[in-house]
Amino acid sequence: MRNIRRILRITLFVLFGMLLHYALPQKDVARITGTDTIRQDFSSFNRWFFAQADSGNVEAENRDVLFITVVRQQTYLFGLIRGGDDVMVYRNEDTGWIWPPYFKFDTRDLQGEAQDLVSTAEAPKWVTITHYGWRNRFFTIFPNAIAVKQIDGSDYRPFPWFNLFFFVFLTIGGLFIRAMWMQFRERTLDPIADRAGDKLDHVNADIAKRRGRIRRWLDSWKTK
Amino acid sequence: MAFIRLIVFGFLAMSVVYLCISIYSRSIRRERLEDRWAENHPEDVESAERRTYIKDGMVKYESGFRKKLIVLVYVIPTIVVGTILYFVN
Repeated sequence: MRNIRRILRITLFVLFGMLLHYALPQKDVARITGTDTIRQDFSSFNRWFFAQADSGNVEAENRDVLFITVVRQQTYLFGLIRGGDDVMVYRNEDTGWIWPPYFKFDTRDLQGEAQDLVSTAEAPKWVTITHYGWRNRFFTIFPNAIAVKQIDGSDYRPFPWFNLFFFVFLTIGGLFIRAMWMQFRERTLDPIADRAGDKLDHVNADIAKRRGRIRRWLDSWKTK
Repeated sequence: MAFIRLIVFGFLAMSVVYLCISIYSRSIRRERLEDRWAENHPEDVESAERRTYIKDGMVKYESGFRKKLIVLVYVIPTIVVGTILYFVN
């Protein structure tokens, strides 16, 4: 029983971690090499990993999606270790008023900015690309670009300030909920349980007394 | 349509949080009043004076500034959404 609970808890923790890893913003140092518009015919699975049509449009079965292709600096261990360059493709879609809560409506403008910053390996213009999401080649899933910003050189190291504050507030919120729950238990649940226990004691005592009476009545029939 | 959905569900979620926090805050307040009474009148556990003392304290809380602060539950998320909207776009 305890093992089952442990497995359940670990699974929930991992799922929550994956959700955060998917939805929280990350920054890549990259050089934009091109932009595309490609018609996407979603499968029922990879549909989950794309946003919806631009917020002013209507949702259709398939649509054109904007892409930004870059050469980026590989990072490992949350950006602490830098590797070589590799190719990365970002989709560029409105999140609109829907999950995840980036409230991004400027997809076309972002595409324009990206097109302005296209550069070659000989004369590189380095940028940071803020994005969320995962890249998966087997299921054709792309991270969604949120913002592009030009930087001085490829040795720039972005610091995840937003994520830092997010986790600080998440911890505070968690402790607050815990305090609320403990207060609720101390002031509301425990008194109810006490009263119920009290009543149970009374009932038990009552039963014992009545049984005593019956026993006495039965005993009165016995021959002495 | 998505905007209306966000407003409706956001309002519902914030209302749940508001209710929880106001119950919690009231409970904390009452406990503090009880503790204060117990400190000053160690042998008095249940009396009319104690009841009126706690009742007065709660009435003062209900019309106080601290209770109004809980409305921030509605204000802060709206400001956060506005800030994100401004910085992303």
